Amino acid sequence: MRVLALIPAYNEEACLEDTVMALRDACPDIGYLVVNDGSSDGTRAILDSLRLSHVDLPINTGLTSAFRTGMKYAERHGYDAVVQFDADGQHLPEYIGTMAEVMERQNADIVIASRYLDGSERPTGARGAGSRLISRLIKATTGTTITDPTSGMRMFDRRMISYFAGGFDTAPEPDTIALAARKGYRVIEVPAKMQERQGGESYLKLVNVIKYMTRTCLSILLFQWLR
Amino acid sequence: MPFTLRILLLVGASVALYIIAKKVRHSKIQMEDSIYWLVLAAVLVINAIFPGIAMWFSSVLGFISASNFVFLVVIALLLIKEFNNSADISLLKHKVDELAQEDALAHCQDGSEKAEKE
Repeated sequence: MRVLALIPAYNEEACLEDTVMALRDACPDIGYLVVNDGSSDGTRAILDSLRLSHVDLPINTGLTSAFRTGMKYAERHGYDAVVQFDADGQHLPEYIGTMAEVMERQNADIVIASRYLDGSERPTGARGAGSRLISRLIKATTGTTITDPTSGMRMFDRRMISYFAGGFDTAPEPDTIALAARKGYRVIEVPAKMQERQGGESYLKLVNVIKYMTRTCLSILLFQWLR
Repeated sequence: MPFTLRILLLVGASVALYIIAKKVRHSKIQMEDSIYWLVLAAVLVINAIFPGIAMWFSSVLGFISASNFVFLVVIALLLIKEFNNSADISLLKHKVDELAQEDALAHCQDGSEKAEKE
């Protein structure tokens, strides 16, 4: 199985190098691609000088579009699976092998690295509450149990790659997972640990959290039925 | 319908017509996009010249005055336009992203020299 690690990067100069190096060391036999989403900092210079495998979007287009760029790349280069991998060092490459194994063995379309599958408690406060709410909405609308819907570390198979590459408004977010689950795609979780982000700023800045939750919840509750 | 409102509608429509003509002449708007505004101006003119129409509608629909009915029509037309603008902008965003993606992929630096050998 040919696996591509897809690393969207917007202004990630702080830890991009470490992330990619750790990924290459841990998983030398998988491909990777950094999608530089029109960063205004030194991200592009780092990619060029270290000759890391990457594409540069000429403008900042947002995570959904950056992710789609990578999915188009994977589709055109014949990859069997793509794993969504954060540039900020949150995700541990050690789990990619397990995810690929589970995907192959259980014939899954989506494999999610879950922080809570092993029974770990979700964080208290807004973060945990948001995660719990999304889990409940997905359970109620699709019947599928997803313990860690906001995990950014997900592996997608060929069908999902085509779905993302050709889609309109298909975000690599929980609502797409819910939609896929409802349409009969097989979603499986594997237990995993994650680190605190190692630097840089999250796509999900505090001001954007409300937007994110509104979009995700409405998408799962309402727009899902129209798509 | 008050006489002053009728005059205002006519003046508004004329100003709109003048602005539209100017933009079209200077290639600042495509004709296709100007049609909506021409029709809107025409609706205002018709309402001003034939106040009976608005009066009839407002009495049938139970409006207190014909002016209220005219205001409602204008607001409704603007809301429709505003929504269509949102949809158009959405599509434009999608298209711009699409172009950026294709541009990025065309200049892809994935070190294919070494990657392809494997």
